[in-house]
Parts: sequence; C-alpha cells; structure tokens
Amino acid sequence: METETEGVDLVEGRVVRQFARAALLAALMGATAIVAIPIAGIPGTLQPLIVFLAGIYLGPYWGATSMGLYLAAGIAGAPVFAGWAAGPGVVVGPTGGFLVTFPVAAFLIGYAIHRGGDLRDPAELSPLYLGGVLLVATAVLYAVGVSWYAWVVGIELGEAALAVAAPLIPGDLVKIVVAVAIARSGRIDTV
Amino acid sequence: MLSYAPGDSIAHRLDPRSKLAVQAGFAAAALAYTTPVALAALTALAAGIAAASEFPLRRTARSLRYPALLLAAGPLVAALTLGPPWFEPSAAVEPALGSYRVLLVLVVSAAYVRTTPVSESRAAIQRTIPGKAGQLLGVGIALVFRFLPVIRGDLRRIQRASAARLGTERGAVERATTVGVLGLERTFRRADRLSLALQARCFSWGPTLPALSLSRRDLPALALAAGLALSALLRGARAVGLL
Repeated sequence: METETEGVDLVEGRVVRQFARAALLAALMGATAIVAIPIAGIPGTLQPLIVFLAGIYLGPYWGATSMGLYLAAGIAGAPVFAGWAAGPGVVVGPTGGFLVTFPVAAFLIGYAIHRGGDLRDPAELSPLYLGGVLLVATAVLYAVGVSWYAWVVGIELGEAALAVAAPLIPGDLVKIVVAVAIARSGRIDTV
Repeated sequence: MLSYAPGDSIAHRLDPRSKLAVQAGFAAAALAYTTPVALAALTALAAGIAAASEFPLRRTARSLRYPALLLAAGPLVAALTLGPPWFEPSAAVEPALGSYRVLLVLVVSAAYVRTTPVSESRAAIQRTIPGKAGQLLGVGIALVFRFLPVIRGDLRRIQRASAARLGTERGAVERATTVGVLGLERTFRRADRLSLALQARCFSWGPTLPALSLSRRDLPALALAAGLALSALLRGARAVGLL
C-alpha cells in the first residue's frame, strides 16, 4: 500500500457535495439499465433521462463529470451499460457513439440552463426552453451515435439511423417530456 | 452477467495497465482492418486471449446477446432494398465483416472484465491520469461500484411500491416521472449523507491505492499492444497516402 504522508489537503465542502452527487447519479445511471418501461411497445431504459437530469441538476461541469464517472466505472468492469454489459470494449461497440456523447450532452444541457455560474433552480425556467434544450442535446446524441454505428459497421447513415435510432425516437421524446415534468415539479434542490 | 472472478490464469497475473494497453491495441487494429484475412488473424488472437484468461464461454456468449442483436441489425438493413429484389445478401457482406470485428473487440473486453479486480482497474486509471482529476476519478469509480447495488435496490423498491398502488396501470409518462423523481430524490439524499460522512472523516486529496508493478511477465502483453497499435497506425498512414 502507498499512503500519502506528506500532508493533508482536504477537499472543499462544496466540491465534496457536488462530487458525491455526481458519483451517485452515475450509479443511478447504471442502476436504470435494469428499469425498462415499455413506450410505444419498445422497452427502452431510462438512461437518456438520467443524462438530462445530470445536466439539469448538477450543471455543466459536474453533470459531465457524473457521466464520465459512469463511463469509467463501466470500463473498469461495473455492469452499468445496457444489458448488464461492462468492459472497455463496450465504448467502441455498436452503442459506443451514444455512450461517449453522454458527458457532452450533459455539459450542453447544463451550460444552456445554468450558463456556467452558480446553479439555478430549473423549476423557474419555461418548459418550452427546457424542452428545446433537451431536444437539441438529444439530436447531438443521435448524430454522434448514428455516425459511429454507420462508420464501425460500414453502412450508410440513413441505414444506420433506421437500424439504431428509429426504434428509440418515440421513447426519447417521452423522456424529454418526463425530464421537463421532473424539473418543473420543484421537488429536487440543486447544490 | 459477466464480472471479475479470482483465478490463476496468465491474464489474471498481468498488470492491469498492460491489459488495458492490449485492449486499446486490439480495438485500434480491429477498427483499422475489415479484410477477411485480418479478421481471421484477429479471431485467432481473440481466441488466444480468451484461452489465456479462462473465461466461461457460455456466460460470455449470453452477455454479448444484446450488442450482437444490435450489430446484426446493420447488415440486415443494408441488405434490404426499396423495390425488387427487396433483399440483396451481397450488400450485407461488408457490414457483416464490420459488425464481426466489433464483436471480437467485445470478446477481448470480456476477458479484461473477467480477470481484473475493480481495485486494480481503479488504481490503473488513477495512476495513468495525473493530479486531482485522476484522484476524483478513482474515488468516483469506487463509489459507483459501492452504491450500484444500493441504488438498484432503491429502484426496485420504488417499482414494487408503485406496482402495489396500481402504478403499472398508469401511462408511460406518469410512470417514468414517478420513478425519476423518487429515484433522484433518494439518490441525492444518499449523496448528501455520504458527503457529510466523507467530510467528517477528513476526505482529502491523498489516496491509498493497491500497489501495482509492471514485471517481466507484462513484456509480451505490452509488445503485443504496441504491435497492434503500430499495425493500426500503418494502415492509417497508408490510407492517407503517407506510405
């Protein structure tokens, strides 16, 4: 064991709170890989919803950190990816494009809502603005996810969209509505 | 579900960093080549890695079900045509090779998961990424592992309670909102308690990690990783016309 004995450099209280929330939200993201609520007959997980909530409640930096921790834990072997998968290979697998864009999407959402400064109460924002932000972030997720799949399998973009994105679109639209409803409920505080 | 199991195979005894290097090298080589010859070589290599890590084939196959389905969708869609002959198998050959190489990467990745304990993966990541970022990442990975079963239990309880109150009869939006709000509330409550506990114990930037040491055993693995990465680089250089 290597123990640092030179001195104690305490982590600041605000950082600890945000960090604990980011880490546990990453665990929630992994846990929702098992929650399947059928939407339009297709069982989708709640994972995109957690990406939205990471940006909304943790802000750009900690939201992206949270999603980064989720990816890192999955790479290190935690069964957090869809279908209980784990390991470094999943990140270059068929859904790799979606996975690596989760931190980017959380950052975009967080930045559009909080503008990089102190976190605002998302309940005060207009639902239209919130929904628009989430829609743009989802579009970014799909763009990278579909391009990656098309490149790695070697098919055209349209075909890739048909294979991996089309079945998910109705479910993800519902998740945008759900995320706006959660943000507007005012039941959850930001740090 | 495929997870770490203690063992005495060659892969178990390697340093996690050299195993990660092999993963990266294999993925790079697999993504650089789709020719049948290269794929045959990579298949043999993947089989060798699987043999060196003694992982249960049946359970691994089961854990690859979901990505395999997704990978099969690409060639299928590519073979479909609008108009006669409707289905053209020859158009599916290239995408099928593309899908197959990804499956190989996933098999090699399963070998890593099977033979590497979490604490070692964490130490490898934390040592590779310097400074406070690496330390937060290391602690964060450990916390995700620790709280994954706890939060999974929370979600299961929320779903059971909701079902007992006929929540399953409600629409998808209402159900997802309930699970989302309650799940997030509990998770953040746990996080706030955790941060208080961390601060009470003087959570600091000085970590205690398991000792890792690269030994002579790791040399072949590192050489393999370097060779694979080089082959991918050569291919890339040829593609842009440097060679």
